[in-house]
Amino acid sequence: MASITNALIMSVTAERSPAASDLELARAAAAGDTSAFERLYEQHHRRVYSLCLRMMGGPSQAEDLTQEVFLQVHRKLGSFRGDSAFTTWLHRLTVNQVLMHFRKRGVKLEHTSEEGDFTNVIETPIQSTRRISMVDRLAIDKAVSELPPGYRTVFVLHDVEGYEHEEISGMLHVSVGTSKSQLHKARMRLRELLTKK
Amino acid sequence: MMVCENCQELISDYIDGSLELGEQVQIERHLADCEPCRAVRDDLLQIVHFSHQLPLHAPSGALWTRIEGEVAQQRGHWFRSLPWLTWLRTRHFNLSLPQMAATAAAIVIAVSTVVLFARQERPAPQNAATGAAALGGLDVNPLSSSDFQQIEKQISQLSESVEQRKVEWDPELRSAFERNLLYVDQCLAECRHQLSDNPADYVSQELMLNAYREKVRLLEGFDNF
Repeated sequence: MASITNALIMSVTAERSPAASDLELARAAAAGDTSAFERLYEQHHRRVYSLCLRMMGGPSQAEDLTQEVFLQVHRKLGSFRGDSAFTTWLHRLTVNQVLMHFRKRGVKLEHTSEEGDFTNVIETPIQSTRRISMVDRLAIDKAVSELPPGYRTVFVLHDVEGYEHEEISGMLHVSVGTSKSQLHKARMRLRELLTKK
Repeated sequence: MMVCENCQELISDYIDGSLELGEQVQIERHLADCEPCRAVRDDLLQIVHFSHQLPLHAPSGALWTRIEGEVAQQRGHWFRSLPWLTWLRTRHFNLSLPQMAATAAAIVIAVSTVVLFARQERPAPQNAATGAAALGGLDVNPLSSSDFQQIEKQISQLSESVEQRKVEWDPELRSAFERNLLYVDQCLAECRHQLSDNPADYVSQELMLNAYREKVRLLEGFDNF
């Protein structure tokens, strides 16, 4: 009885307040309020989709994954206690979902050595002074999609999403050194791609 | 003296500020004299800077409809997948008379037990009339001593008959009977206990009457075997 009352109160609160917090919406949605869940979707779907798109490389797969993420969110909302920001929780859930998708599909992020680390590709130092001209966000966005999956994953997690190497190391089950090395190679490859344009 | 190869290997760590002081100083010295490496540094700085602000993309408008539909479907599926409901839906009940009698007895006993426990937490009414009034005019008939005597007599006769038949029963049937009889007798004992504390407790009287009736039905059912 008390839980029904709470659900009603949360539902009303989430509906009346134009700027209901994520936590309020999450609680109302967990109590069965579909409109609260829809508002959470409206507020966060672009960020989730963009992350999926950058890591997956294609809009169709990114939409499927975004759907899977929000279904997971709906299933797990009850366990969200508000200890962390909803965006942090959602973000981590999205990344996990993408990585799980890679593992399920047997997608190898990059060739790995026997120790499970990414293979180090020897690259010669760049001697050219040719500069990237007119670099903008759109050009980088497009170039990121052309990176090999392993480079792209580490680059998106670190430079776009702001994860630390230690966190990426845990997510991808690679060493911190490997994460750093992949990031460096991703940046250098991006420079190469952007210089060509 | 640092060469370009070493510098460019470390340049990402340099940009991220994760180098030790000694390596940082060496790189800065090299960068001061090397234009190609400076170009690499500046380009990577731009890439890192703009990567923090990449534009957001939007999925197709149909995506929410898909998610909403899936959520509704999962809710239905969750309800249908409740273990007890699934069990009830898929179970085929094919019970013999004694089994049905035993099941009914078990249900009555379970309900009676719950009511009895609930009653223990509330003060009993002062008398049966007050209790009946408290129920808002429900037709409650306290048992008379002749009612008890009549039922006990019937039970006694049935018990004798069943005792004679028991020798021919297989162990499984006997076990089922004794188990159910034990439940009924426990319920009766509980009612007696309640009534000894408060003889005018009309709820206990009703429960006791029901338990007696259930015992009669149980004995009658097993008397046919």
